[in-house]
Amino acid sequence: MSTPPRALIIDDEVQLRRLLRLALETRGYEVHEADNGARGLSEAVFRKPDVILLDLGLPDMDGRQVLLRLREWTETPVLILSVRDQEDVKVAALESGADDYVTKPFSTAELLARLTVIQRRAKPAETPVLHAGRLSLDLSQREVLLSGEPLRLTPIEYSLLRLFMQNSGKIITQKQVLTTVWGPNAADQAQYLRVYVTHLRKKIADSGVEIRNEPGIGYRLQVRAE
Amino acid sequence: MNHDPLRPDPDALLADLLRADAQKRPGRLFIFLGMCPGVGKTYTMLRAARQRQLEGVDVLVGIVETHGRRETAELLEGLPFLPLRSMEHRGHNLREFDIDAALARKPQLVLVDELAHSNVPGSRHARRYQDVLELIGAGIDVYTTLNVQHIESQVDTVRQITGVTVSETVPDSILDRAHEIELVDLSVDKLLARLASGKVYMGERAELAATGFFKEANLTALREMALRFTAEHVDRDLEEIRRARRISTPWRTNARLLVGVGPSPYAESLIRWTRRSAMRLSCQWLVVWVEGSRPLARADQERLARSLNLARKLGGEVVSVTGDNVGKALLEVAQERNVTQIVVGKPNRRSLLRDLLTDYVVAHSGDIDVCMVRPILANSRLARTFRKPEAGEAPHQAREYGWTLGISAAIAAVGCAVFAEAGYVFVGLMFLLGIVFASMRFGRGPVLVMATVSALMWDFLFIEPYFTFHIHKWQDVIMFGMFFVVAMCMGHLTTRLREREQAEIRRQKQTAALLRVTQSAALATDPEAGLREALSTINELHRAETALFIRTSNTDRSLSPTPHGAGTFAPSAREWGVIHWVYEHRQAAGRFTDTLPESQATWFPLQTSTAVIGVLGLHLEEDAVLDFSSRVSVEACALQLALVLEKEQMVEAATRAHLLHQSERLQRTLLDSVSHELKTPLTVIQASVEGLASCPRAAESPQAEYLQELNTASMRLQRVVNNLLEMTRIEASVVKPAQEWCLLGDVLQEAVNIATTGDVRRRHPVRIDVPAELPAVQVDSHLLAQAVANVVHNASVYTPDGTPIEISARLPGGGGGAAADSKLVITIADGGPGIRPGDEDKIFEKFYRAEGSPAGGTGLGLSIARGLLRAQGGDITAGARRDGKAGAEFVITLQVSLLAEEEGKPVRAG
Repeated sequence: MSTPPRALIIDDEVQLRRLLRLALETRGYEVHEADNGARGLSEAVFRKPDVILLDLGLPDMDGRQVLLRLREWTETPVLILSVRDQEDVKVAALESGADDYVTKPFSTAELLARLTVIQRRAKPAETPVLHAGRLSLDLSQREVLLSGEPLRLTPIEYSLLRLFMQNSGKIITQKQVLTTVWGPNAADQAQYLRVYVTHLRKKIADSGVEIRNEPGIGYRLQVRAE
Repeated sequence: MNHDPLRPDPDALLADLLRADAQKRPGRLFIFLGMCPGVGKTYTMLRAARQRQLEGVDVLVGIVETHGRRETAELLEGLPFLPLRSMEHRGHNLREFDIDAALARKPQLVLVDELAHSNVPGSRHARRYQDVLELIGAGIDVYTTLNVQHIESQVDTVRQITGVTVSETVPDSILDRAHEIELVDLSVDKLLARLASGKVYMGERAELAATGFFKEANLTALREMALRFTAEHVDRDLEEIRRARRISTPWRTNARLLVGVGPSPYAESLIRWTRRSAMRLSCQWLVVWVEGSRPLARADQERLARSLNLARKLGGEVVSVTGDNVGKALLEVAQERNVTQIVVGKPNRRSLLRDLLTDYVVAHSGDIDVCMVRPILANSRLARTFRKPEAGEAPHQAREYGWTLGISAAIAAVGCAVFAEAGYVFVGLMFLLGIVFASMRFGRGPVLVMATVSALMWDFLFIEPYFTFHIHKWQDVIMFGMFFVVAMCMGHLTTRLREREQAEIRRQKQTAALLRVTQSAALATDPEAGLREALSTINELHRAETALFIRTSNTDRSLSPTPHGAGTFAPSAREWGVIHWVYEHRQAAGRFTDTLPESQATWFPLQTSTAVIGVLGLHLEEDAVLDFSSRVSVEACALQLALVLEKEQMVEAATRAHLLHQSERLQRTLLDSVSHELKTPLTVIQASVEGLASCPRAAESPQAEYLQELNTASMRLQRVVNNLLEMTRIEASVVKPAQEWCLLGDVLQEAVNIATTGDVRRRHPVRIDVPAELPAVQVDSHLLAQAVANVVHNASVYTPDGTPIEISARLPGGGGGAAADSKLVITIADGGPGIRPGDEDKIFEKFYRAEGSPAGGTGLGLSIARGLLRAQGGDITAGARRDGKAGAEFVITLQVSLLAEEEGKPVRAG
């Protein structure tokens, strides 16, 4: 409560920047703006934002390049603003270190929800027990409870669920899942991932948590609204 | 499916590849070999075929001669027949095996009796074995019969044993292609008994019977030949299997045979001997022809071409080198190619030249073995046919003889005038001068005749005693002798010099022509003009006319049906068959070849190492002959042309690909920027509306209704913009399917999420029914989701509120087994009024809106769905619901790869 969170908007559209500023400021953010990639990078250095909103189509450089330059020195969460039908670009950005994305035209409510999720994850709250819906996962005991009852999972299913719960609400690309759970050589074995996700979904069917697939991009763990 | 022609459909490509693969797999050839007619080859073949038919093989009788034998005819019953082709030849109506019908029918196994048969003139191939080769080339198995005496390499032996010259032979190479040779054996006694009881057909073989072919001694020898031949083949098969398991080198490296041949009629027998020997050693063999400076007579040329063709047919490598010292040239080739054994013909009678050759080869061969073989004269039938064309040269020669005799007479006349003054020695020198001049112009024969006549005239007219051939003084006798020798030598040497010069000129002309062909075709700025120049060079060299057919492009492999403009003769429509054959089989055919020899021209494939670019036709004058060296030179030109044309087509294709790439990039950039420009303001409007709505007290304010309208309008605008952009993307072929493994349930759920924003979900319950056992599929999930979403949205607009929308997926072919390419069917059914009959296809047209459609739509949704599906090789159709309920049903079909369930085990890395 001491200092308001700082957000940096890197987008070349004045109207959009103004709109985003309005929406963010009503939620108590301190907002900074940059209208191109170079300025965005220097603003990121000076303002030390807590979260960055980055448009992929910038006049001076590719949004992904900006992202790569950012990731050279900071882990500040980045939310990508993109248009539809750029699945490959989105996946590339996510794999270069972006934390999530929203597609234009987006709803303000969704944007703000995403911002909250990626900031929460940025804080290294390494609690030994993760919670989502009626699920709780004890990292130290490697134990999963569903409504207080122990849930039997295979080692792979456990690793999958742990990854999803650690990133609850946030998109994880298929490649990220594969390399995290199966190791770096398994990046092109997506078909196995499908099988395990199906099994896992069956086991956590009544936990109030769902593993959503975003075609062409990846997975997101969501707590169902009651 | 009408795909965009620019983008090949991957599935179609794959299917093409598979088909090409299947075509490449040749059929198998089964030969039923017997020692002579009457042992029961056809009978055995038919029994084997019936057995195969019982096993479920698609058997077809191509042609089988029963020769009226009842047992054989009975076996034929129940086997499907191919009708024979009737052909008119010299007023006779002959019936022949119909190869085109057999190829079109494409059975698994064809029976073709009598492999050695010669086809009726006018058939595609001169010989039946060529038909058989084409059949197995097309992937059809063939059963055929053959007698041992018809095997090319056995002909000499058969003649030695029986005295019969067999004219219908099959090359040994076809026996090497046989998958299996089955010997049909019968003891000689039994055969003679069958013969006696009239069970053996003799009709066409009257000549065999007449020469006492069926004698016991002959039959025993033939039987032994057949047995030995089969044994050799079995032995070699074994050897090959053994070798294939061990190492992959195709030949034993320690042996290589070389046989030197010339235009002599003995050459064929030498070639056969070498082939037999090479087969026993299972080694490579070369046939070398040393081209001397003297041009060959026409008959010699033909005989040589025939011998070299035979060598090629038997599987030998033909090497032609030039040089006047035959022995030296042979040894040079032998050393260059690491030959271990040289085969030369053993001189039959005393001949100075032949002796010199064999002596030379023996003396200089070093560590190469030399094998002398007694050659056997090729059969006399061929020798006879060769004599005829020489008659054409006679008038030419006669004129030369006339000239030389005239010159001699003129010299004699002048001699008479100056004889008193200058003496007879001067006259003699005048004669010699005349001979020298004559030998520069005329052939060897006339010059030698002139030398003789001059010597006799000199003696008769100018040496004492005059007007007798008698010579008194011994000095004059010696002088006459010297004159005669000098005249002869001079005549001989001069003509030889001239011949050598001519040969040199001819060779130079050929080399220069080849160079010119290459240069004019490759370096010309205008490819068309370059080709025309190259072809006219070939025309000049061979005094012929040419025609050229080129394939359409390097993606479309079909041959252009119109001749290339650079050609100089227009082939008749009947030639198209042979042109096509050449293109398909990559072999020369037409006149002067064994394939379709009745054609107007000789056709050569323009072939590079990778592909056939086209076909070159050479149309020679009516009485001209295409000899071996001309053929080699035309083939060389054809290769050059092929290389040049291939390069041209590749450059063209590369340019096209580059342009295509450029325009695609441009379109993409344009689309992206338009998309950005349209969506940014939309985003702003949308966000602003949301912002206003979220203000406290917004709901009670009188402006709430305006806000609601604004929201609806902006949503609608968004949909229209998205649809328009999507349509443009599809039409510009920017949509590129990216296949990935996914669960169909996920994809359909996402589609519903896209389609049912806002209150649609409340108005239409959507049920997704995906069988639990449906495995992961490989599709472009994004495109599929978008397509399904459009259909669902369409259903939600056109059906009354509250009616459910049902989505289901199934695999009609079942999910098990090989799951490389399965059909996936997704059905989207609604409970609306259904589709008006006749509208089933129209609704997928762009901007088509059914009558009574609610306002606010572009009529693009369904056509986008179809476009997206077709982009990944699928399709969508519409109709009434098949479960009998009211409403419309949309059926999406898509070829997908399935993940086999047992493969679903994860690969654990590390």
